[in-house]
Amino acid sequence: MAEKFDNLEEHLEKFVENIRQMGIIVSDFQPSSQTGLNQKLNYMITGLQDIEKCRQQLHETNVPLEAFEYIDQGRNPQLYTKECLERALAKNEQVKGKIDTMTKFKSLLISELGKVFPEEMTKYKAIHGDDPPS
Amino acid sequence: MTEMFSTLYGQNDAQGPPRSSSLGFGPGNPPPPLPPNQVPMAAQMPPQLGDEGPALRKPGAMNEPFYLLRELPVGNELTGNTNLITHYNLEHAYNKFCGKKVKEKLSNFLPELPGMIDWPGTQDGSSLRSLIEKPPVCGNSFSPLTGASLTGFRLHTGPLPEQYRLMHIQPPKKKSKHKHKHNRPQDPIPQETPSDSDPKKKKKKRDDDPDRKKKKKDKKKKKVRLLP
Repeated sequence: MAEKFDNLEEHLEKFVENIRQMGIIVSDFQPSSQTGLNQKLNYMITGLQDIEKCRQQLHETNVPLEAFEYIDQGRNPQLYTKECLERALAKNEQVKGKIDTMTKFKSLLISELGKVFPEEMTKYKAIHGDDPPS
Repeated sequence: MTEMFSTLYGQNDAQGPPRSSSLGFGPGNPPPPLPPNQVPMAAQMPPQLGDEGPALRKPGAMNEPFYLLRELPVGNELTGNTNLITHYNLEHAYNKFCGKKVKEKLSNFLPELPGMIDWPGTQDGSSLRSLIEKPPVCGNSFSPLTGASLTGFRLHTGPLPEQYRLMHIQPPKKKSKHKHKHNRPQDPIPQETPSDSDPKKKKKKRDDDPDRKKKKKDKKKKKVRLLP
């Protein structure tokens, strides 16, 4: 799976480098540079063809739109991954706290109800079985 | 607790209209007797409440004083009680991204990309969002340019005006661990940017020889001595 990303990355790097070299040629153009410029233009088209071929391997890859917002703001998209993991962990801890609280409440409620309605609770436990210790 | 239940279910009508308390647990009246046409609610419930969760037990199946007793839900193995990061083997990713400081700028993520990429894309219309909202024309094949097409790319000689010299504004290059062996054609003298105008940074780029470093140290010492 990483190979197709490496392949695309390689093509993109070559493409960007080609564009950069074209920018250098154009910034201070000389008549003798025309041939080189034409060659770079065709390299650019070849690069686009190669990138187009890579697209077929990556059509199942999904990128979250929130990561694009980070890039548009000039921020590192790894910060998005970091924040996702932190939010997931925080939510995980929050839900675990709720589960623990509800489990304790259930056991406390059953014990108190057992004191007040012992016969009914015996019947209830016969239906639902003994609750696991909290 | 027993007092609460007794007040709810033990009151007689002789005590007058029900009093409401701040919690809404005031003394309640026993439910009115059902007319003979109506079937008890417990027998009617199951088909209506089937979509609200586990099915109700049939009232005929139990003779207990429990009404509306539902089946316990089937326990899901994966709940919030489990550390999901460990469960999905994301510990390495978590330590990588959250264990150490991740740099803020986009140029730290893409150090080899030329141009000023730390600027917001909305300023120069190069945002990815605009690419999604207005996608370019796709589907056409890429064909090489012929001689006739290349005539449109004949340029005038001479340097570009300064306002169009964008490609040469490089972000400050930081030392990367992996040294690239391929040789790049040397850039022409770049336009001075605020970051490049600092004489100390210009000098740092030429510091490869140890002799120059020693000379610099001597110069710095002299400067420190001269300053008040």
